[in-house]
Amino acid sequence: MIYFNNVTKVYDNDAVALEDVNLGIEAGEFVFLVGASGSGKSTMMRLILKELEPSRGNISVNGVKLGAIPRRYVPKHRRNLGCVFQDYKLLPNKTAAENVAYAMEVTGQKRRAVRTKVPQILDLVGLKDKLNAFPGQLSGGEQQRVSIARAFVSQPPILIADEPTGNLDPETSVGIMQLLHRINHIGTTVLVATHDREMVDVMRKRVVALEAGRVVRDKVRGGYANEV
Amino acid sequence: MRSNNWGFFLREAVKNLRLNLLMSVTAITTTAVCVMILGAALLVSAHLQGIIRNVGQDVTITAFFPENASQETIDDTLSSVQGYPEVSESTYVSREEALDRWKETFSDQPDIASSVGSDVLPASIELQLNDPRDSGAVAEKLRSEGFEEGDLNYPQQTIDNLNWFTGYMVWALRVATILFLIASILLISNAIRLSIFARRKEIEVMKLVGASDTFVRTPFVLEGLVQGLIGATLAAVVVVWANSAFVNWAQSYLFSVSSESINAFGLMLTLIAVGVLIGVAGSYFSVRRFLKV
Repeated sequence: MIYFNNVTKVYDNDAVALEDVNLGIEAGEFVFLVGASGSGKSTMMRLILKELEPSRGNISVNGVKLGAIPRRYVPKHRRNLGCVFQDYKLLPNKTAAENVAYAMEVTGQKRRAVRTKVPQILDLVGLKDKLNAFPGQLSGGEQQRVSIARAFVSQPPILIADEPTGNLDPETSVGIMQLLHRINHIGTTVLVATHDREMVDVMRKRVVALEAGRVVRDKVRGGYANEV
Repeated sequence: MRSNNWGFFLREAVKNLRLNLLMSVTAITTTAVCVMILGAALLVSAHLQGIIRNVGQDVTITAFFPENASQETIDDTLSSVQGYPEVSESTYVSREEALDRWKETFSDQPDIASSVGSDVLPASIELQLNDPRDSGAVAEKLRSEGFEEGDLNYPQQTIDNLNWFTGYMVWALRVATILFLIASILLISNAIRLSIFARRKEIEVMKLVGASDTFVRTPFVLEGLVQGLIGATLAAVVVVWANSAFVNWAQSYLFSVSSESINAFGLMLTLIAVGVLIGVAGSYFSVRRFLKV
């Protein structure tokens, strides 16, 4: 589903973010991407979104080589990817329902579909009572649920989450992870970048560890740290 | 672009206009001021050209006899002038008649009326021409009759004087108009850029959920269009109103200003078109910078 082949990313200021990364994630997998800040997790996410171009190597997502996608088809590529961010990236002047509806409207879906689907998906993430609340009126965990609902409303085959629990307390984080787990269970490929050690240890999923831009460990049913 | 998107674009544009009211007001005011200045410049140059045209339509030539001209000279001149083929009518105005006219002109201002005696105003001959374009040629003939250039009053003279003056004036106005246009485009695109900058997060989110460039841009461009339209319409109404007020005022005085110098409806359309164009172009190019996510 997502393949990195000898990918190196050097930023303009000569900072090496990724070095010769090889990684394959198959359809339906749940993968944690772990590592300290600056280890290259976010760079990988942004490369998958084609927000950045690799300096060397190639990436393919969903069977398509990203290097071959012309700029004007990038939006289409992104519609196959649900994105969740640490800072939620919700629009503050839109209600929860409007934020979710926005993602559908942007991709040109029918208003009728939007009206039926938005309450369903918000119900699914446990926010059926907060349809008309603005992000400012929601807790961090609730905002992240809205953001997950937005990422998943069009049922993309892949969902990527960059530090989804980074701003949340451990209890709330569990709920968010359970939600991602459920989404993965429906068949969605889920890639989560995190340095939430406990969470990774509890979930026992595949763990890919990055260190200074290199993959130093890739273990099925792994933990956060190197286990002896 | 699918047709059901337009409802979405319109709703977004209207909502954004409302939410970013201050920015909208800034952009609208800037557009209005710039379009008003442009309109004023167009008005002034149109009226100047109208005045020149009006003066050019004048078919009267006046030739003043020198102070010491004898009755004989006057009679000789009169009879030869009446023979000019270009002249349809000629009237001799004696010193006494000139004084009467003076008194009549200033009948409501007795001080001025009584300030001159019959010896001050010269006798003159007034010629009506068939064609105003002959005035130069007739003036030439009159000079050969012994009239000095300073004793002649004919439209070409006025036109030359006006042309000399308006030539510079019109050029200055053109330069000013172009400068103002450039300034207004910069100001407006800056105002729009500010309002877009305030919403760059929104654009970022749109891009991340897979909105195409056109999709992100269209509400902003529509917004620019609406802002340009409102600003320019306000300005156009003010300009047209000011124009009619000016024409009324000028006509009740001495100016040969005509309301026909300006097609008010055309002017209004031009100004609105310019405003809309500025708004659309300004927002189009301002958003482009923020699309590269």
